[in-house]
Amino acid sequence: MAKKKKTVAATLPTAPKVAVVLTDKDKKTMSSIMTLANGVNEAAGRKREPSVDIPSRTLSNVKYNASKRILEMGNSTNRRQLFNLTQAKSYMQTLLVANGCKGLIDAGKTTSIRGLYYAVKHTIEGTKEETFNEQVECDPIIEDVEVLLSSLREELHLFAKKKGDMVGQLVLQDSGSTIDCSQMGSGGYGIPSIVEPEIIKFVRCKAKFVLHVEKDTVWQRFNEDRFWEKHNCILTHGGGQPTRGVRRLLYRLNNELKLPVYCVLDNDPWGYYIYSVIKQGSINLAFESKRMAVPEAKYIGLRSIDYDRCNLSESVIIRLNENDRKRAKQIKQYPWFEKKKAWQKEIDKMLENDFKLEVEALIQKGISYVTEEYVPLRLQEQDWLD
Amino acid sequence: MSIAEESKNGVESSASPKVGSRRRAATAQSMAAQQRDISVSEFFVKNRHMLGFDNPRKALLTTVKEAVDNSLDACEEAHILPEMWVRIEPTGAQKFRVGVQDNGPGILKKQIPLIFGKLLYGSKFHRLRQSRGQQGIGISAAGMYGVQTTGKPVKILSKVGQKSPIHFYEIQIDTKKNKPEILNGKGEGIDIPIGEKGREYIEKNGIEWVDMDHGTRVTIELEARYQRGKGSVDEYLQQTAIANPHVTIHYTDPEGNSTTYARATDRMPAEPREIKPHPYGVELGQLAIMLKDTTEPTLSSFLCNCFSRVSPGIARQICEAAKLSTRSRTTRIGQREADSLYQAIQATKISNPSTDCICPIGEDLILKGLRQVVPGEFYTAATRPPAVYRGNPFQIEVGLAYGGEAATQNITHDLLSDLLEETDLRTVRQFLINTFNGLGAETADRIVHNARLGSRQSPSRLKPKEVEALLHALTSVSLSEGQTMEVLRYANRVPLQFQHGACAITQTILGTNWKSYGLSQSRGSLPRGPITVMVHIASVWVPFTSQSKEAVASYPEIQKELRLALQAAGRRLGVFLRRRNRVRQEGERRNLFLRYLGEVATAVSNINQTDRKQLYGQLVDVAKKRTSDADLRLDDRGRRVEDDPEDEEFGENVIIVRPEDALQSLLKNAPAPPTASPGEKVRGSKKSDSTSRKSEGTEEEFDSDE
Ligand SMILES: Nc1ncnc2c1ncn2[C@@H]1O[C@H](COP(=O)(O)OP(=O)(O)OP(=O)(O)O)[C@@H](O)[C@H]1O
Ligand SMILES: [Mg+2]
Repeated sequence: MAKKKKTVAATLPTAPKVAVVLTDKDKKTMSSIMTLANGVNEAAGRKREPSVDIPSRTLSNVKYNASKRILEMGNSTNRRQLFNLTQAKSYMQTLLVANGCKGLIDAGKTTSIRGLYYAVKHTIEGTKEETFNEQVECDPIIEDVEVLLSSLREELHLFAKKKGDMVGQLVLQDSGSTIDCSQMGSGGYGIPSIVEPEIIKFVRCKAKFVLHVEKDTVWQRFNEDRFWEKHNCILTHGGGQPTRGVRRLLYRLNNELKLPVYCVLDNDPWGYYIYSVIKQGSINLAFESKRMAVPEAKYIGLRSIDYDRCNLSESVIIRLNENDRKRAKQIKQYPWFEKKKAWQKEIDKMLENDFKLEVEALIQKGISYVTEEYVPLRLQEQDWLD
Repeated sequence: MSIAEESKNGVESSASPKVGSRRRAATAQSMAAQQRDISVSEFFVKNRHMLGFDNPRKALLTTVKEAVDNSLDACEEAHILPEMWVRIEPTGAQKFRVGVQDNGPGILKKQIPLIFGKLLYGSKFHRLRQSRGQQGIGISAAGMYGVQTTGKPVKILSKVGQKSPIHFYEIQIDTKKNKPEILNGKGEGIDIPIGEKGREYIEKNGIEWVDMDHGTRVTIELEARYQRGKGSVDEYLQQTAIANPHVTIHYTDPEGNSTTYARATDRMPAEPREIKPHPYGVELGQLAIMLKDTTEPTLSSFLCNCFSRVSPGIARQICEAAKLSTRSRTTRIGQREADSLYQAIQATKISNPSTDCICPIGEDLILKGLRQVVPGEFYTAATRPPAVYRGNPFQIEVGLAYGGEAATQNITHDLLSDLLEETDLRTVRQFLINTFNGLGAETADRIVHNARLGSRQSPSRLKPKEVEALLHALTSVSLSEGQTMEVLRYANRVPLQFQHGACAITQTILGTNWKSYGLSQSRGSLPRGPITVMVHIASVWVPFTSQSKEAVASYPEIQKELRLALQAAGRRLGVFLRRRNRVRQEGERRNLFLRYLGEVATAVSNINQTDRKQLYGQLVDVAKKRTSDADLRLDDRGRRVEDDPEDEEFGENVIIVRPEDALQSLLKNAPAPPTASPGEKVRGSKKSDSTSRKSEGTEEEFDSDE
């Protein structure tokens, strides 16, 4: 039994029977994993304490590039040391994840981040301690390894759970299958977590724009009303905070097919934040902004003025809580919102209202008010925030 | 008895109210009828609490204590290494016989009746010399209490030399006349001859006597109660052994258990010198008495010869200030002159008395004494240089022991059952607090809870199963958090067991900030932890708060010295605790690192196909380098074994016992071998369980500490 446990780390995933041909990207990733490992031998050989410098993924190390209008990661790093009480375990975990990815590349397979978590989780020999207790412990280590090796997640042969759907006037090829997004029924096409050109190729596009909504429920409304057909567009949602796959797809639609992206999100700090992530990139993944951020994305609504503008009744408002107010004030100070008068007014108005509104609230005005009036009107009047 | 009856009769004749009439006012005549001499003995019969006979339990202790203190004083004065036999036997309901024998110089025949049958008769009151007894009350008061409560006389056997007979007296004190009454040998006492005849006599009459060349045995029968725990005879003897490492005590308790506290050194303490009083230390009344008693003809010669530190020049200054002639006749000095003389003394600058008359125990012997009796990992001692309060030289010493097992941890089932049976406390919780030293209320609650006992359950009525549960709880509940400092107070090597709260020693300990030495302490209470502190004040005249010699009075000079001594010991404890913590932490760190090294080595070698074993070895080396402190072995003086000049070092006054060794000595139930210097014989002592740290008591004064 014990023997089996011991071999887990070394051999997972099972060694390939046929030699796997490494792509150029794989070779590059492999060499950075190798450099990481060699660093440990080198330090130990000279009786030094091994350590790695991990680019810091905090707000303080994120800069807003005003000309590119995206978030970029700065140069500061955090040193993670093996011989430091608070860092020893995460240092060990970093190397386990690197080793796990090496195994995936060797085998020419991809796995989910949950899969990798199981691959690197085991009981440390001679103790009752687990290398990882929960997946939430492993996920940030994976992100650390990404920035440490400056490799993208897919280059490490990893993907996240997919979230988000798409319908509309687009035909694409996904791993060889042709998919007509206008023929997806009520469920839509699930956006994969890896949407790189090797996997997804755009074949034909009649759409003139992309409408991205916050969540599944709102997306269903638009799909049922065949909004994408009437307005000749592509309809996506990200199930809340959009995953990397969704963001990367939006980026490609915008960048390669030159489709403008419009967002319909809740009127609350969370909605503002989602917009901010789509547009500028996220703090945590600032290193990915350049291939994910859509600086051109527009914010259609909901707006703080909609309560008055749409004549909503009090029963649909949700009071802000202390946390909401704090978040709103923080977002107001983001460098990319700070200089925009319209945004300042928008956020101030919400604070003044002291309530938030969900997109679903518009149903008060009619089941399809949002698809037949609210959005078409905004588009027509080019009434959005930028 | 007779006194009480008598006074009752006296009162009735004059002051009893007539039925139906107003209480008659006393007149000068009626009062005169009641006014008469009060003999000292009579006075103390009525005020025996002042002498430590407040209740039967304390009476037992005081009796043993007075006899033992006298024996030690006598042996030391005669330069004899003291060996004592203490025996307590039950003789009936609430009646005990206490016998104390020493190997001292013995007492001359004609002195015996006076010493044991007359209050305020002694050799120590009139002199200023460091000794245990000082008032001349002790043993005769014990004897008086015994006679009073049992009607049995005090028995004294004393032998002054190999060739002399054993003087045997049965005495009781005539409280009204403050005079001894000799009951045996037709009022003359009996001399038991040496040799076979004497031995036969002893045998025939059932006299207890350990055969020896010289020594004294005192036997007193009294009404008493025997209960172990705080304030008990057992505690007193144990504490005496700590502060008197040159003494051997053989003790047989009322249940017949024998315990021997063997001496830890054969070195006698240095002999204290007698000094004349310093002018500053003399009260006005005492000055008047000295003037009346002196044979010195002139004021100047009186001042120069009856006091220390008074030169003819100083005498002249005093006389000038008092506007008296240096040649005034001492016989002519009246109340007014004495008063101005007293004022003049206070106003004149007189140098402090010489302090070489004080004999401290010494750091070395404090360490030995503590180590012999108190289990621990760390011991330190600090002896302050002598100082002076009100013209009286004194010296403060502190010993400190840290760590070790608590009494609750190694208690046996039998002992616990005994203790539970003996106690008359009402709840198990109270029983725990009062039985085990240093066990706070909080810990007691935890133990009661752990044993699943009710908080109101009576300790004497526990079922066998419940006793079992209590025993288990005692040994399993961790005490270190709930344990509080145990304080052992001594004055001239005599343990002080009562009135903690009133004592300058306790007050100074409470006022010391122990937090800065790594102990936890809430404000105004004793610090927590497995720690024992002994504090000794040696002086030619210890300022007690009362005649029962239970608490030291708070003179600022004394408090200052106490504080400095406690701080010196505390600082060393702080260094030890910090150092130990660091070593421990580093050890924990290394374990943590080592745990992950294997994983790192496996991952790395798997990635780059390097040799796992080699890498692992290299990483372990780095880890060891990084946590080198964990390898530190501290030697018995607390120094690093590899020299590190950077580190503060302990002096000679520290002993560190490695925990393994401490445990070892506990398991063997024998004291750890003290680090004996060559030439010193160290005998191990056989200890019964009753000598382990435990105690019990009902006196209210304990509550002040809780
Ligand atoms: N065991 C003994 N051997 C020799 N002498 C003794 C012994 N016990 C008492 N004495 C003498 O008898 C005297 C009186 O003893 P007692 O205990 O009454 O008073 P004390 O010790 O002088 O003062 P205190 O009242 O403080 O005890 C002592 O001063 C001492 O000289
Ligand atoms: Mg005495």
